[in-house]
Amino acid sequence: MTRRQTLQTLSSGFGYLAFSALSTIAAEKAGNPLAPRAPHFAPRAKRVIFLAMQGGPSHVDTFDHKPLLTRDTGKPSSRGIATLLGTPFEFKPRGQSGLMVSSLFPHLADHADDLCLINSMHTDLPNHPQATTQMHTGNFQFVRPSLGAWTLYGLGTENDSLPGFVTLAPPNGAQNYGSAFLPAIYQGTPLGREVRNRFARENSSAPMSNLSNPKLSNELQRVQLDFVNGLNRAKLAQDQHHPEVEGVIESFELAFRMQDEVPEVLDLSREPDSVKKLYGLDEEPTATFARQCLSARRLAEAGVRFIQVNHGNWDHHRNLKDGLERNCSEIDKPIAGLIADLKQRDLLKDTLIVWAGEFGRTPHGQTGNGRDHNNKGYSIWMAGGGVKGGMRYGSTDDYGYQAVEDKMHIHDWHATILHLLGLDHERLTYRYAGRDFRLTDVHGEVAKGLLA
Amino acid sequence: MNSNPLPTLAFLFLVASSVNAQQAVETAETQASAKDLDFFEKTIRPALVKHCYECHSKESGKIKGSLILDTRDGSRLGGDSGPAVVPFKIEESLLIAAIRHNDKDLAMPPKYRLEDSLVADFEKWIAMGAPDPREPAATGGKVPEYTNTIDLEKGRQHWAYQAPKKPQVPEFSNTDWTRNAIDAFVAEGHASKGITPAPDASPQTLIRRLTFDLTGLPPSPEEVEGFIAAYAENADSAIGETVARLLASKAFGERWGRHWLDVARYAESSGKEVNATYPQAWRYRDYVIDAFNADKPYNEFLVEQIAGDLLPAKTDKERSEHLVATGFLALGTKNLNEQNSRQFRFDLVDEQIDTTTQAFLATTAACARCHDHKFDPIPMSDYYALAGIFLSSETLYGTPNGLQSRRATELVELPSTAPNLPGVGLAGIIELAYQREVLSEAVTSLEQQAAEARRSGGDPQAFVGRILQTRNQLGIAEGKLLLYDDEGNARALAMGMRENGDAFDSQILIRGEEDQATAERAPRGVLQVVKTDDAKAIPAGQSGRLQLAEWMASPENPLTARVLANRVWLWLFGEGLVSSVDNFGTTGEKPSHPALLDYLAVRLVELDWSVKDLIREITATRTYRMASTFDAEDYEKDPENRFLWRANPRRLDAESLRDATLAVSGLLDSDRPLGSAVAEAGVGFVGRNIPESTFETDTNHRSVYLPVVRGAVPESLALFDFSDPSLTSGKREITTVPSQALYLMNSPFVIRSSNALAKLLTEEMGLRGPELAREAFFRAFSRPPTSDEAAEAKAFVEEFLAKAKAEGLPDSEARLLALTGFCQSLLASAEFRYLN
Repeated sequence: MTRRQTLQTLSSGFGYLAFSALSTIAAEKAGNPLAPRAPHFAPRAKRVIFLAMQGGPSHVDTFDHKPLLTRDTGKPSSRGIATLLGTPFEFKPRGQSGLMVSSLFPHLADHADDLCLINSMHTDLPNHPQATTQMHTGNFQFVRPSLGAWTLYGLGTENDSLPGFVTLAPPNGAQNYGSAFLPAIYQGTPLGREVRNRFARENSSAPMSNLSNPKLSNELQRVQLDFVNGLNRAKLAQDQHHPEVEGVIESFELAFRMQDEVPEVLDLSREPDSVKKLYGLDEEPTATFARQCLSARRLAEAGVRFIQVNHGNWDHHRNLKDGLERNCSEIDKPIAGLIADLKQRDLLKDTLIVWAGEFGRTPHGQTGNGRDHNNKGYSIWMAGGGVKGGMRYGSTDDYGYQAVEDKMHIHDWHATILHLLGLDHERLTYRYAGRDFRLTDVHGEVAKGLLA
Repeated sequence: MNSNPLPTLAFLFLVASSVNAQQAVETAETQASAKDLDFFEKTIRPALVKHCYECHSKESGKIKGSLILDTRDGSRLGGDSGPAVVPFKIEESLLIAAIRHNDKDLAMPPKYRLEDSLVADFEKWIAMGAPDPREPAATGGKVPEYTNTIDLEKGRQHWAYQAPKKPQVPEFSNTDWTRNAIDAFVAEGHASKGITPAPDASPQTLIRRLTFDLTGLPPSPEEVEGFIAAYAENADSAIGETVARLLASKAFGERWGRHWLDVARYAESSGKEVNATYPQAWRYRDYVIDAFNADKPYNEFLVEQIAGDLLPAKTDKERSEHLVATGFLALGTKNLNEQNSRQFRFDLVDEQIDTTTQAFLATTAACARCHDHKFDPIPMSDYYALAGIFLSSETLYGTPNGLQSRRATELVELPSTAPNLPGVGLAGIIELAYQREVLSEAVTSLEQQAAEARRSGGDPQAFVGRILQTRNQLGIAEGKLLLYDDEGNARALAMGMRENGDAFDSQILIRGEEDQATAERAPRGVLQVVKTDDAKAIPAGQSGRLQLAEWMASPENPLTARVLANRVWLWLFGEGLVSSVDNFGTTGEKPSHPALLDYLAVRLVELDWSVKDLIREITATRTYRMASTFDAEDYEKDPENRFLWRANPRRLDAESLRDATLAVSGLLDSDRPLGSAVAEAGVGFVGRNIPESTFETDTNHRSVYLPVVRGAVPESLALFDFSDPSLTSGKREITTVPSQALYLMNSPFVIRSSNALAKLLTEEMGLRGPELAREAFFRAFSRPPTSDEAAEAKAFVEEFLAKAKAEGLPDSEARLLALTGFCQSLLASAEFRYLN
């Protein structure tokens, strides 16, 4: 019996007045909190794939071209007694747009005309935990809902057989995909958290618990579920009006569907070899991240609203050159594959891809061949849904120390992402402990200049 | 003048005098001779820039040891070790001690010693009074100032700050419906809204409601039948006797203590990035459970948690309880990797202020850290008055030093009679000590090799990773050693508080930034909006925790009794009279029944703060006895049931669901385990040397004893809306998501329990057919099946059996599987987890 049929049965059972009351007041409160909701205005992106790079990727070696830094290598820095360290990597103009991207990203550079580089990011603190938390939640001091949770709260999700916010192999720190005071249903569902490398090792198993019954066949479980549903419907009839029990009935059906859907969505063996090759699934060192990127595409395609893909070890205080080469070789091809794949499926136009770390690194050297944390200026990029491609937004000073032009704070960046999703960051609020909270607190300005 | 702990005149005087002192210093400095300043510019400033700024300046972005040397104030304020520059006092200036390189721990710069002549120049400069023309702070030359913008008198008009007065009981008290005064207030609400109360619930519903509400467990079939019989004789006495029985069972404390643990944001790890375990946190958990079982008066319960270490105790047991209670203040989340010790202290204190004021006063005082409270009458100076109290205390949580974990502390030593985990024995302690020595030597050796590499032009960086890793292991080894005495017996240790022997008032930090301190200090004290005549001033040399606790626990405090009475109401009805249970401020919700709330608050004090007595009075009401029957007309008038036209249908919380599953299946182990899985896992870092999976334990103990590790809460709790244990949470969210259904359908726990129930019914009880169905329904739902349900159950088993056999299962296996499936269906059904 569907929800509608149930309601009809009920309405004839105890009078139309109750039914109308239910449909006006209670249905709104008790309705499926994950049902798609209309945005505040026409969205440019329908979903987000957030590629989170933990550790603070160096901007001056990747996406922020600083010729003066290279020229002045070895000269004293204006900050302290350390000396400037030019990048060991070569920047070249790429694509039609001539966007400058370093040699660390040969594959991604092929998509330069899709990238919207933001060179003027800044955040409040140069410490990993605080900056990571601020990147995800806007606030490092207090436990606040994450960007993905706010997104799901604002928009709901489009696939009723999957969770609406998924984070793949996240590092420690559940707060970064948590819902804090938002209802728990909006928190990210971590897949593969316990088994970080599962994506690399296994082909088809879905890293989510309780997805199958060790004893019962699907058929037997269906018989059992029908019996449970019968008990639940009897209770619903008895209670006359009980939205939560309706929710229980729905959730069992969704769970039953997820048992099939989740392993299917995450079963990468169904992908043709050409696609696997595109992401670098068939080779090292790309296989792990490729698996996550391809899973992200499949989840996006399946209607999941917010998908986060995680990659770590960007904290290059030393051995910067080797470290960056290793990291970038792991992610470059998979990300390029993801962009190409979304494009060929015509999904890039309404999928927002975001690549970001929690901060950048200093233009001066540290311990000879590394760089220290720098929160005052760094780079991220976005691509797809609603952003201008082949553009560079904002800039740092001549050496990359701090953002100077079109400065974009975390709050501004969050406001811009929500805007692309059709949400007004000032109107997306949740009442908790007596006041209306926002992702952007009392800050945030949409960067209109980068909207397509 | 009354004895308000914050007498206004004294406050003003203190402020004025400290401002004068500051001005005097500044005048002296502006008068520093041009020659002196020239000496600073030519000799001292260049030396600071060259040798110190790299690690000790805002500009470089590095502030080692919390010491800033590129501002005058930073130099004088000093860092973790103390003030770097004390004008005229060479021996007190740590800067001099550091550059002399006599003390190995202090020696700066770390890699070389300044020339003797330069050291002498610095000494000369200090002797001159350390003339320093640099900006006093990084704020463009101004010492930040604070101006209070709060109108306290106006603020006091808000309902929650008015003393509760025992209201006249409304005239409705003599109707057939009302059982006691509480009902009269509720009946008044019914009349005012034109709603009709639901009829009494059935005795079956009532016994189920009472048993779950008071113990978090289902009633046994015998208890159900006994109650139904007694209820038929005399409803009032049946309820009263049952309540007495349930309040006397130790399951009561396990249920109600858990409610408080939500409020106290109880957890067994530090959370955040580092997530160090708190292996002693379980003592606080047990303290809370025992306090509820002993019906410890709430005012005492409160004072013990804030200032138990300062209370007199007659026995070791009492002393132990008092010390463990202060774990309340030590259990919070912590940024253990914070580099700036001053920042860390203020964050720690902020967490304590936030939790304390929300838990006991439903007040969000922490909002006044960065500015005057935007909505409530709490000026920043009040926040820093509280901050001074906690800054003057020492918080002992016992995490070790290690990789990214800096802020190690000791623990509180309990009297040796406190219950304890097994030790490691003499051999164990020798082994641990040996490990520590090996690791310690390894660190020294690695450091020497790195130094050697540096000298010979090699790459010392090659050693950094190994040094860090070995230091981390050393930190854990040292942390473990702390837990045992010399013979390897476990020391009785707890998290908690002590006075730090150096009570002082806090500066006010503009925008909450630790380097934006005003010259004035906020005298230690309590929130000015709430005046109580019995409040005591904080004696010099004491932190003021005891006075803060007594002020909160005063019968005159208008918030405390109301806040608890409201929580008790929530825990019995599923919703508070004030629905924002942790916020009674102006942005909170107003009480649905203000007079009733006042009545309950006054009664609570009259009952000597006895929670059990208050429960007795509330459960004796007609209101508590109502059915949850739906009524369309009343629903139209009051869809949220704020005026109690029926009982709120409620879902079992995570613990009750799990405990009920164990109880119904006959698996429940109702004994209290000693310690917890976290205590067993011991000292360390979750996700590093202790995998998160450690805490997915499979025990049959009650859920309150499951480990609560921040970021790794067991699935059985986390999936069913267990509160985020990082935050005070007086009320849980209720979500209905498919991962819960998946858990009920497929989790090893539910399958194991269902299987146990099936075997219990068949193998142990020898039941089959209709008798089996009846017993199963009775255990799960406290009622027999209807004839339809009995028929459906029969049909289910038959269909299931047929399909299972068709799938090739042998008969006996198929039969057990079918019965397991039947039992699981009951445990997974909505009726099992929704109370009427």
